[in-house]
This record gives sequence, structure tokens and C-alpha cells, in this order.
Amino acid sequence: MSDFLIATALVLLLSMTAGLIRVVVGPTPADRMMGAQLLGTTGIAVLLLLGVAFELPALADVALIFALLAAVAVSAFTRRRLDREPDA
Amino acid sequence: MTADVLMLLFDLVLLATLLGLAVAALTSPDVRRAVMFFIAFGLWLALVWARLRAPDVALAEAAIGAGLGGALMLAAARRAARRSAVDGQADPDEEGS
Amino acid sequence: MSLLLTLFSVLSIALGAFFFLVGTLGLIRLPDLFSRLHALTKTDNLGLGLVILGLLPWLPDPFTALKLVLIWLLVLLAGATGSHLIAKRALRGDGEDLTP
Repeated sequence: MSDFLIATALVLLLSMTAGLIRVVVGPTPADRMMGAQLLGTTGIAVLLLLGVAFELPALADVALIFALLAAVAVSAFTRRRLDREPDA
Repeated sequence: MTADVLMLLFDLVLLATLLGLAVAALTSPDVRRAVMFFIAFGLWLALVWARLRAPDVALAEAAIGAGLGGALMLAAARRAARRSAVDGQADPDEEGS
Repeated sequence: MSLLLTLFSVLSIALGAFFFLVGTLGLIRLPDLFSRLHALTKTDNLGLGLVILGLLPWLPDPFTALKLVLIWLLVLLAGATGSHLIAKRALRGDGEDLTP
């Protein structure tokens, strides 16, 4: 079972690497943010798979931080529009 | 045996991407793009720590390195772009608005 | 029973990974911002949900299982809110997001 979990984690890691293409080429900032969001979600899945494969339940906490990180990054990114509105 | 080969492949992909992200973040000319790369780099480094079975270090890296640092740097990049626009310099980020 | 459980788990995780792959492919290949957003949200919700569902039988205690389900709920909430913010920003903005 552990082999299968690690193999799936490897596939998801390759998928993350492919998703980086969208972060690199853009073309708009919103596209980059979406790429980062997908990276975060896939990272959560990789961490949970590794946590079960390595028998390290503490990795679930790291996954939780990843989920928070995506939320904070997206709100920090979209806030830009709101406080630029008055002088735009 | 199979697990060893799989882990080796996993490590190779992880390392290659980590190095690529670090170089991209350092050489990117656009500041906001460099911050994006930095956030992705922090995420990847947290994965490396998790793979090395160090969940507490991964926790700190993800929370401080990528999350807090990334959000603060996004805010700083925004402020720097606005200041250079006020100074009357040409700023590619401000052309659309 | 155990074999059946293993089969269910493998199937669920494989399906979840498939959703992740399709979502990444969609994010790379689809033509504009909103269709890419559509691909992204499917991945967030279904892919992670199926992977967590497949992992549930292998966890040491029910508390960890509850934590994983709560992580999924948080991702659902954060993903929906974030996607909504991005879409609203792109729609109401002055077009900055639709041009490079």
C-alpha cells in the first residue's frame, strides 16, 4: 500500500511541476495566483499521502498550514484592487 | 526495492524544481513575479522538509517562509510600485490602470 | 472485507489523482481566465476530496480522520472564496486582468 501511496505522490508532484508552467508564463497576475492556488491544493494532497506512507500523522498539520497559506495569499493578492480604487 | 526507486525519482524531481525556482526568483526582473516565485519556492521547500520526515521544520517554513513572508512581500511590492508611479517613473505594472 | 476496503481506497485515490491531472491540464491548456478558473475549482473540490476519502481507512485513529475531513472543508471554503474574489476582481476591474 505504501508503494502505491508514494507512486501517487510522485504523479501529483509531476502534476505540480507542470502547473508551475502557468505560474511562469502568466500571462496575467490573476493567472499566476490561480496557479499558486492549484499548487497549494496539490501540495496538500502530496503531504497527506506522504503522511500516511511514512506513518507521520504530524504532516496533516503542515497540510493545514498549506490550506491557510493559500487563503492568505489570495486575499493579500486581491486586496490590491480595493485600496487602489480611490486614486485610480 | 520499488519504494527506493520511487523515492529516488521523487527526490530528483523535488530537487530539480527547487533549484529552478530559486534561480527564477533571483533572476526575475519583475518584482511581483519574483514574489510569486518566492511563494512557490517556500511551498516546495516545505515539501522537501516533509519528505525528510521533519514535519515541525516544514510547519515553520510553510507558515513563516511562504505564508507570512510572501504576503508581506506582496504588500511591499505593491507599495514600491505605487511609489515609483508617484515619482513619475515609467512602471510597467501601472500602465493598465 | 480488508481486500474490498483496499480496493475502494486505491480506486478513490487514483480517481482523485486523475482529477488533479485533469485540472492541471485544464489550467495549462484552456484559453481564457474564466475557463481556467472553472478547471481549478473542480480540482480543488473533487480531487482533494477523493484523495482524502481514499486515505481515511489507513489512518491510525478517528481523530486524525476528523482532522483530514476538516482540512478538506477548509480547502472547500478557502477555494470557493478565493476563486470568487479572483473572478470578481477580473470582472469589475478595469480590464487589467484580461490583458497581459
